[in-house]
Amino acid sequence: MRDVYINAAGAHLPGEAVGNDRMAAILGEIDDQSQRLGRLILRQNRIEQRHYAMDERGEALDTNAGMAAKAARAAVEASDLDLSQIDYLATGTTQGDLLVPGHASAVHAALGAGNDIGPIEIASFQSVCASSMMAAKSAFMTLKCGEAEAALVTGSEMSSRWFRPGFYRPALDRLENRDTRMAAEFLRWTLSDGAGALVMQSRPRRRGPSFRVDWIRLVSLADRFDVCMHAGIAHEDRHDPVRCWSHHADGPRGAAADGAIMLMQDMGLLKRIIRGWVGEYLALIDRGAIVPSAVDHVLCHYSAHSLREEIIRLMKAAGAMIDEEKWFTNLYSKGNTGSAALFIMLEEFMARGGYRPGEKILCVVPESGRAVISFMMLTVEEA
Amino acid sequence: MLQDISKRRQELVEAAFRGLAIAWTDFEGQLEQVPVIRKLNRGHLQIGDYRALLKNLRQQVVDGGCWIARAASHVDADHFEIRSHFMKHAVTEHRDFQMIEANFIACGGTLEEIRSAPKNIGSEALSAFMFHKASQPNPFALLGAMFMIEGLGSRKAVEWGAAIKEQLGLDDHQVSFMLYHGAHDDDHLDELETHLAMTVHDESDVQDVVRTARIVGRLYALQLEELDHV
Repeated sequence: MRDVYINAAGAHLPGEAVGNDRMAAILGEIDDQSQRLGRLILRQNRIEQRHYAMDERGEALDTNAGMAAKAARAAVEASDLDLSQIDYLATGTTQGDLLVPGHASAVHAALGAGNDIGPIEIASFQSVCASSMMAAKSAFMTLKCGEAEAALVTGSEMSSRWFRPGFYRPALDRLENRDTRMAAEFLRWTLSDGAGALVMQSRPRRRGPSFRVDWIRLVSLADRFDVCMHAGIAHEDRHDPVRCWSHHADGPRGAAADGAIMLMQDMGLLKRIIRGWVGEYLALIDRGAIVPSAVDHVLCHYSAHSLREEIIRLMKAAGAMIDEEKWFTNLYSKGNTGSAALFIMLEEFMARGGYRPGEKILCVVPESGRAVISFMMLTVEEA
Repeated sequence: MLQDISKRRQELVEAAFRGLAIAWTDFEGQLEQVPVIRKLNRGHLQIGDYRALLKNLRQQVVDGGCWIARAASHVDADHFEIRSHFMKHAVTEHRDFQMIEANFIACGGTLEEIRSAPKNIGSEALSAFMFHKASQPNPFALLGAMFMIEGLGSRKAVEWGAAIKEQLGLDDHQVSFMLYHGAHDDDHLDELETHLAMTVHDESDVQDVVRTARIVGRLYALQLEELDHV
């Protein structure tokens, strides 16, 4: 089987960077309690800037697919290819613009508007943060076995759509419960918009650096853990999926009034899931797939600084820590963009330099949704 | 040469730690699927569930002090420090069941009921395994068992105790067994590292400690799955 390389990365972050003081002006205000919790959550996640594809009047400036297509075009520009040479497109996102059809169709359509990409194979991956890694893995396998020569992989999010007051208003009474309120506010003050993309090929690039993909490993722990991050069901109904929004007798309006159309995260369960993730990391070390001392760079997606601290504490306790100076992130300046985050990190990391041929890059994308953890090991190659 | 030996020893201790941490996270995942814990995690626990939990834990906790004491008596003089450690451990554990009884009574149960309850199927398996291991010469693999039991005290008990207290609207004195463990079982990781360094000489010693931890985890979860199945 052939080797597979990441040859270029692209990112698209919509509009101006938004500081903490302007978040409420763009997202809108729910109530005083929301503002208070917002200040607390921002101290914990330590994010200083993010981007929203939405203006202060609440008008959308772009779509999820539109942002993905812009990041994809940027990645192709950074490669030695033309868009017309791409023969496989895999997309990852938490929620596409439409319920039906798939996100990859929308991204392909947005790319094809200029007639510079033809009919190609596509694959839509819908999960949460790890949908990016699912898309990357499908491109990796497709290229490896010769089914395609040049793949585009995107991760993109328009999280801000969930956070307008109009999404909470039909069921404000549900937010009187402390846990439900926290489950809603944590995400509202943590997630933001953006897209990232990779060009992957079955050969290294002709000039400049390539990252060879050594392996990608993704594990779901949904066999043991309950749902942790969700939308489409009220927070208190989340363990009873038959009560999901689409089964509501009064349709979408009734589901919204019951609190089913809000994005939520169970903060208590998240802490237990983190230990499960660290267990999977340790298992990879045990099998010899990861040698902590041989890793030169770590690009780990995490949603908040406080969760990074938790992960690091557990890794240290197990004697499996990779030195903190090897960790690269742009969470604090570009925000938590979910499935786009790893590719937005890779874009900045690739352009910034500071790596040498032969060095190992470990990428980690955990997903709280229902406890997914994914790893990708890269080796720097200079063509 | 000496350096090579100590480096090798360090690697073995690290491998044991890693194996134990994997066994622990796997155990925590198993606990998520146990019906009574799932009920607790989903906020649906009832007072009867809590009483059943206490009643089913008591018999094995009574045995807890005993198997550690038996293990101590099988440690030879060359490993004097480990023997002290086991004995200290036995002393701190051997009155714990009285706290469980007090909590059970404070939640509407009777002393007679909790004392007369037989071990459930899982507790039988767990106790039998512990006494079996403790009866072997120099049963150092039990360090793996203690790692799991201490983890239950320092991590799970406090988490469960707080959730039980909140869901059922109880006072501290009704949940003291779990809350006490959370407050007093610190991470004994430094101590464990010292003891592993003294007892782990090769790869098979590492396997033995980790395997013992995995078995204890599975049997402990079985004990919680088999509530009132006697």
